[in-house]
Amino acid sequence: MKWPESFSVKQIAFAFITGLLILLCLIGGFAAYQTHAVTRSLEQHSQDAARSELAAAVERLLGQTEEQAVNLARWDETRQQLVLPEYYTYWRDQRVYESGMLNNRFARTALYNPSGALLAPSPEKNRLPAKLPARVSPHQPSSWLAIEAGTIALYHAFPVYSDENLQALLGHGLIRLDFMPALQRQQGFYSTDMASVKLALKPGEVLAASKLFSRLSFIARPDPDQLRFQGILSRTLLALFVLLVVSTLLGFMAYDLLLMRPLRRLSDDIDAMQHDRFSDSQARSKPMHIVELENIRRSLYDYQRQLRKLHGSLEHQNREFHSQARQDALTGCHNRRAYEEEWEHFRQKLKTAPQGVAFLLFDCDRFKTINDTYGHAKGDRVLTIIAEALGMALRANDRLYRLGGDEFAAFLSRTTPTQAKQVAQRCQSLIDESALADLGINEPVGISIGIAFCAADQLEHIDELPKQADIAMYTAKQPGHNRIALYGEDTERAAQALVASRETNALFQALATPGMVELHYQPIHGLPGHKVAYYEALARIRYNNELIMPDAFLPVISSRRLETEFDLAVLHQVDADLSLQQLPPGSGVSINLSAQSISRPEIVSYLVELSRHNVRHPLMLEITEISLITQMTEVRTYLDLLRTVHYRIAMDDFGTGHSPLLYLVDLPVDVVKFDISLVNKLGQDDRAGQVVADFARMMNDAGYALVAEGVETETVLHKVENLGFSHVQGYLLGRPVPLAQLAASLAAQDTGATCIA
Amino acid sequence: MRALLFCLLLSALPTSVHAAIVQLEMRPGIPASAEYLAGQRDKPAVLLLHGFLQTRDFPTVATLARGLQDAGYTVLSPTLSLGIPNRMQSLACEAVHRHSLDDDIAEIAHWVDWLKSHGHRSIVLLGHSFGSLQLLAYLAAGPDATVKGYIGVSLIEAEVGTTPRAALIAWLESQVQLKQRTLVTQHLSYCRKYLSTSEALLSYVRWDQSHTLSVLKQSPVNVTLIMGDADDMLERGWLKALKHVQTPMVIVKDANHFMDGEHEFDLLDHTLKSMDLLNRP
Repeated sequence: MKWPESFSVKQIAFAFITGLLILLCLIGGFAAYQTHAVTRSLEQHSQDAARSELAAAVERLLGQTEEQAVNLARWDETRQQLVLPEYYTYWRDQRVYESGMLNNRFARTALYNPSGALLAPSPEKNRLPAKLPARVSPHQPSSWLAIEAGTIALYHAFPVYSDENLQALLGHGLIRLDFMPALQRQQGFYSTDMASVKLALKPGEVLAASKLFSRLSFIARPDPDQLRFQGILSRTLLALFVLLVVSTLLGFMAYDLLLMRPLRRLSDDIDAMQHDRFSDSQARSKPMHIVELENIRRSLYDYQRQLRKLHGSLEHQNREFHSQARQDALTGCHNRRAYEEEWEHFRQKLKTAPQGVAFLLFDCDRFKTINDTYGHAKGDRVLTIIAEALGMALRANDRLYRLGGDEFAAFLSRTTPTQAKQVAQRCQSLIDESALADLGINEPVGISIGIAFCAADQLEHIDELPKQADIAMYTAKQPGHNRIALYGEDTERAAQALVASRETNALFQALATPGMVELHYQPIHGLPGHKVAYYEALARIRYNNELIMPDAFLPVISSRRLETEFDLAVLHQVDADLSLQQLPPGSGVSINLSAQSISRPEIVSYLVELSRHNVRHPLMLEITEISLITQMTEVRTYLDLLRTVHYRIAMDDFGTGHSPLLYLVDLPVDVVKFDISLVNKLGQDDRAGQVVADFARMMNDAGYALVAEGVETETVLHKVENLGFSHVQGYLLGRPVPLAQLAASLAAQDTGATCIA
Repeated sequence: MRALLFCLLLSALPTSVHAAIVQLEMRPGIPASAEYLAGQRDKPAVLLLHGFLQTRDFPTVATLARGLQDAGYTVLSPTLSLGIPNRMQSLACEAVHRHSLDDDIAEIAHWVDWLKSHGHRSIVLLGHSFGSLQLLAYLAAGPDATVKGYIGVSLIEAEVGTTPRAALIAWLESQVQLKQRTLVTQHLSYCRKYLSTSEALLSYVRWDQSHTLSVLKQSPVNVTLIMGDADDMLERGWLKALKHVQTPMVIVKDANHFMDGEHEFDLLDHTLKSMDLLNRP
């Protein structure tokens, strides 16, 4: 039997009361046993007392009879009758009683002459023998009992002498008693039930008086004191038992009322608190009668109120946090996290409630240009206005999500393709009507919308909606479209081309297959001296023994948002190439990273791991399309981290809209690579060339290391040398070549890299 | 008379300290006893008789016996049998009384003979109450020559209460003549209900005051009476009647019928004085 680990108060109370009752029963049983023993002892005592007093009574009766006989024998008138029996009957019937010789009417006497003959016949009622029995001794008194006509008679015969010396026998006397009445008249019966006294005597049997007591049977009379004692004891025990039972019940009720119920109430309250079912009911506010329990109840109640208050506050804050965590700080619409959670929730919901679903993907046209032209503040404001317009255009229950940058999304439930298109058109209309001109932006700001629809009976394809919307978006942005494209309707041909294209296949295969991304290294020469300082790793995809150039697969990367995956593949390949140690020691390696990747933890983590090559090959990161950076603070932190592991940070394509000046100021950039478009301006002797030249000098003065890209002429080379560029890169000095080829050529040359100062 | 006498230590011990129970068979089957207190041989023997239905152990009698013995007199104090063998208790009035005054006289005569047979030649009869009457009846019947004197203490007649004595006697005589054996209940002496045969009762009721006075007057021996003047058991006028016939009589002042208390000594003194007078030649 296994004991429970804990007991309830009720169980303890029951156990206590049960134990108490068992104890009471034991005590009661012991008391009853003792009472019974005392009763038996008293009964035995009564029996002994009855025997004693009966024996005493018998002895007394026999003694009295004998004494009467002696008196009769000594009585002068007895002797007178034996001598002159003429008036014997008067003596027998009257004188013996008047004189007090026989003191009761149950006694009879008779006189016999010395030969034993009766002096005169006795009346019939006296039943005295006419002749003394032969067993009677002439000179000795003798007593016996006999039953006569149902009556037990006690006889006592005695001799009568004429002289004091008992020599002259005059005759005999005989006393007859009705034994039972005579015995019952004896005094001092307290313990004997006289009605029960019986003498076992057969008719005709003669019993000597000496054996009388052995034939007597009797019943002891219950002792009144004993009966009273038993009665009192029984009543006392009963009263005690009833009192204890009542006390126990009352105690249990009081225990239940004062302790168990309050404790149960407290326990229920605690349970309710645990299961958040606690309420401020009137019953709970009712005070308890036990001070300690009342203190607990009050404390619990107050604690619960405080807890609820705190809980409410926490819930409110949680809702706030939840809302904030799922809200885009800039536009106020839902962010990507909210999108992912609610899209998943929406997908699950569709399983039980099939309906037509449309996925809308919004992308701002030329936002990068606006950002570059008007700065981030204006760009942010544009995004805010677009978000407001889209929010107003959507239906009441539709939600707008900002997925990143200028990309928004919404999924419409219970809709049709037509309705989705109508919503999209309304979005475009509201954006077109928005007051962007108030911001000082004169150029048109539009939005491209990709729509994917999934009918209620085709929900198994629901997961493809985002991708389809992305494709539709890509289609919508293609020239010739009205910026709204419905997947499957407007994008069929384009999608087929995109999906089936060789580049796309190559890209996806390259991402899945290590080694398919091939790096070609273009030297970056230090100035002056034209010594190779870095090799820029430029990605190519080797597909079916054909080399696919970036111009072919970068649009696919951009349209499929595969920047991070591709950058990871490039970094893996860089790691592999550097591990071959085919590049000359001390020569640096410059790696291109998209703006989207630099904010991804997995990229940063891998870069940190890759930094181990910095000992042999100083590494430089060229951030492309910096304008797409939206999380400036995080990016700045990551870049600072990478600098601490000896990466140099270069802003690529400076001079195009992708690398605005503001980002250069905000980010920890060491090197600025002038885009080929700016470098080519240096070759012109016009104002543009002059501006670029002046700007380059200013940047140089500001401490940035400048790299001129796309130098293809000696003029330009000479120009950049004069302007203080520290490095130069271009076909003039070296084309990108595969690592093996580079290693072979390096082996043939005795060249060395110089560090960028 | 057949004597069944036995005297314990009578001849072996000095006479002055002799005390013995003497038993005589008065009638067949009716023995009677007497206490014999031996005194000086030169002094008369006293036959001391108890009152009505009493025994010799009656206090007045017993005290008197000891006093006389102390004074040197031989005293024989019998208990009349009253028809009961060896009677030792006073007989109840309600008992069957078959004894007659004649029986009593006969027993007195037996005891006088006994004294005489034991050498006492001078006998003084001393009786108390009804015993005085019974001794007087003995004197009337003709006493033995050895009887020299008579002292009657608280002499009383045979009272019969309110019953006319003459009519009673006549009725009793008729009953006797008719040989009626039926017991008669009658006031006699101090017994209100004296149960007796007619014949026996008749023997007592004849002794009225006049008969008693007549016998006293004609007594063959010297007579002395000792009476108490506070004796309320006497018939009124009895003392006066006694004085009238000039019987020698001592009146003990304030003494009752039993002469008890301080009068025991008066009784003894007067008895001894009377004995002295009787003893003088």
